[in-house]
Amino acid sequence: MFETIRLAKGVNVHVNETTQFKTINISMKFKDKLSKEKAASRSILANVLQHSNEAYPSHTALRMVLDDLYGTSLYMDSSKRGNEHIVSLNVETVNDQYLSEAGVLEKVLNLMYLVLFKPNLEHGQFKESIFLRERNAVKERIESIFDDKTRYAQQRMMDLALPEHPASIPANGTIEAVEAISNEKLMEEYRTMIESNEVEIYAVGDVKPEAIADYIRDYFHFTDREKPLAAPSMELEKPAQQRVAEFEDMKQGKLHMAFFSPVTFRDEKFPVMQLFNGVFGGYAHSKLFVNIREKESMAYYVSSSYSSQFGLMFVLAGIDGKLEEKAVGLILQQLEEIKAGNISDVEFGQTKALLTNQLTEALDSARGQIDIYDQYMELDEAFEPNYLISRWNNVTKEDIAQAAKDLSLEMTYFLSGKESEINA
Amino acid sequence: MHKVEFEQLDETLYHEKLDNGLEVFILPKKGFSKTFATFTTKYGSIDNHFVPRGEKEPIKVPDGIAHFLEHKMFEKEEGDIFQQFSKQGASANAFTSFTRTAYLFSATAQVNENVETLLDFVQEPYFTEETVEKEKGIIAQEITMYDDQPDWRLYFGIIENMFENHPVKIDIAGTVKSIQDITAEHLYTCYNTFYHPSNMVLFVVGAVDPEGMMKLVKDNQSRKTFEDAHEIERIYPDEPVETAIKERVLKMSVQKPKVFVGIKPEKMDMQGEEMLKHELAAELAFELLFGRTSDFYHHAYEKNWIDESYSFDYSLESGFGYAIIGSDTAEPKILAEEIKHTIANAVEKWPFGQADLDRMRRKKIGFFLRALNSPEYIANQFTRYTFNGMNLFDVVPVLEEIEVADLQQAFALVSAESQQSVFTIEPPDKKAAE
Repeated sequence: MFETIRLAKGVNVHVNETTQFKTINISMKFKDKLSKEKAASRSILANVLQHSNEAYPSHTALRMVLDDLYGTSLYMDSSKRGNEHIVSLNVETVNDQYLSEAGVLEKVLNLMYLVLFKPNLEHGQFKESIFLRERNAVKERIESIFDDKTRYAQQRMMDLALPEHPASIPANGTIEAVEAISNEKLMEEYRTMIESNEVEIYAVGDVKPEAIADYIRDYFHFTDREKPLAAPSMELEKPAQQRVAEFEDMKQGKLHMAFFSPVTFRDEKFPVMQLFNGVFGGYAHSKLFVNIREKESMAYYVSSSYSSQFGLMFVLAGIDGKLEEKAVGLILQQLEEIKAGNISDVEFGQTKALLTNQLTEALDSARGQIDIYDQYMELDEAFEPNYLISRWNNVTKEDIAQAAKDLSLEMTYFLSGKESEINA
Repeated sequence: MHKVEFEQLDETLYHEKLDNGLEVFILPKKGFSKTFATFTTKYGSIDNHFVPRGEKEPIKVPDGIAHFLEHKMFEKEEGDIFQQFSKQGASANAFTSFTRTAYLFSATAQVNENVETLLDFVQEPYFTEETVEKEKGIIAQEITMYDDQPDWRLYFGIIENMFENHPVKIDIAGTVKSIQDITAEHLYTCYNTFYHPSNMVLFVVGAVDPEGMMKLVKDNQSRKTFEDAHEIERIYPDEPVETAIKERVLKMSVQKPKVFVGIKPEKMDMQGEEMLKHELAAELAFELLFGRTSDFYHHAYEKNWIDESYSFDYSLESGFGYAIIGSDTAEPKILAEEIKHTIANAVEKWPFGQADLDRMRRKKIGFFLRALNSPEYIANQFTRYTFNGMNLFDVVPVLEEIEVADLQQAFALVSAESQQSVFTIEPPDKKAAE
């Protein structure tokens, strides 16, 4: 799918030359190890760098240039995967051929260069007012999680079940970590990101791999860098509590359950877990959906998800505040069914079909191609969809039953309305 | 079958109106693996007052019925249609909006089977008292989920503020109470009135052979018998130009306040070319005034009156419309005032000229071209445009013709003080520690 060209040690360009899309998508990913401090500082950094730069020293000026380039989208975001923290510079621009103007791509690449290499500095540091405003923006972003009770419940459960573990460290860090970042620390983090991070650059669109590689090699001056040393351990430790109930002003109850699995992304059995998740609660034909939503009318959403980096399985359901016990009982009953091998041919076939469909469809978008390839690259540099599809086809019902047996329920978390809100 | 080529966009659209009135559109996309299809009826939550097919007197139906019907459509005597789609490797879904209900799937295999399933399941209604009763629990949980979402409550709150009578103010899913009154008979009445092919659009986009697909659809439809098409009489109340409620506050479990300023357009009965031009011109105007390159945005962001949740939007349909601007903010009163001042100043002296228009036009054209990468965008937007007498592929040509005077004119319809309203969500008062 992608042709890889090495620009420097630890810096690669991957290009998918295709005429499928009307756009050219470029994503530059900077990878470092994950910690609360790094998550906080790099999230602020992403905001600060995308705000303005030496050539366009105000937010308005930069946005106007982008608007003029046919609304080119340029933004930075911070995310995490396993024990890695990733800052991405993402760009999407319309292919010249649809416009009455040429040379748009070169202008866009130049803007990317300015964003990364010519930051908006004052006295050797980031412009203080921008730094303060963007640090606050990241803090506000973290605080707003409370308003989305499903996200909030999930974060609470992770904080309780796996404190100080990469699985619970938020991609934006914590409020305390954000508040502790100073302008000096941010400058240090900036230099580390540009000079020492592993850099993976993706381009999808009607572009020649050599042309992109040459441009970046000539203008971006990425230097050699060593692979970072020890990344934080991802070993799972049993939580201190098995069940926690918390209360806020709300009507619906949010049930979140966390299971440990010995199988992770790098294991041979990884495709088994994907199938197990699909059969258990991944689709509208899954056991959770069919039994708890459709048969019992107990929920609008009830689903499972597999966090493969850590070997974690989650079940999420929105239910009536008084039905926690019944819901947990039904959920565990579905798990027992799978352990006993009670999986019909239809369920099995449907799950394989939908997994295949999902993967194939995801590759119909440039962003989908980049995200999937970046994730699977560590398993097989020449990743193609059939890598997974053929493995799914070899999974048996016994494999799935075993995967279910190897799960252990570690925590049940229930967030529901305060007693006084029952009549609301 | 008609074929229209859009050279500038490198797209070709195939279209035919069938004998039974169904409009079928097919848009092949080279290089795509998936096929996305939507089967949509021009029937939504606002259609709660109408003359049922075959009758003379209008009736009113319980709130939330269009959405309820959408849910029940998937349950048949033989089983759940989701199962059928899954067997055929397709991911299916549906949604109900104010003005339309759409049933859809996306698949990378067995496309023909999936299109047949899509047509068949929507055209074979099956509702019983038992299945209706069972769905009430599920939809009650859906409603409760949305009730807890502050952003959803904010959105509906400003709409309720703006509209005195128009049914757009009714929550699309209804309320836990209103859905108790829904019966299977209601569902059949609504179905028979609104789900006639002449009131529907099928859109197939992605990996598809146009001739083969059109034939498949025609064969499928000609195997069935349909009643004659009939003009549906929909009744909407008169709606004053002024907003119903000027200001309202709701307390919810949020970490900081949220505020929306809403403006109701003076003219809400546009369709076709008039609507397209107005809509595009108004969107350009609001983008210039409230977008990320505007003085307002710069000022409000620096002062911390808005944050990353800041948004603005202009929506127009037949019979209603609204512009909404707002953000999470520690200063809801100040933000609302600033938004209103910005509008008032622009009314007094329009601040934008040719260079601004040209820049924003390029941005909008770029957005549109980028969006054409998405089969979902194409199918959904094209259907919406069709239901309003517009053609999605006229967007670029119309954008290219818009002049500064058009921006002013469009904006003038959505700016009077009497058409404005403010809705705020606040954290609860500080209680004594429990």
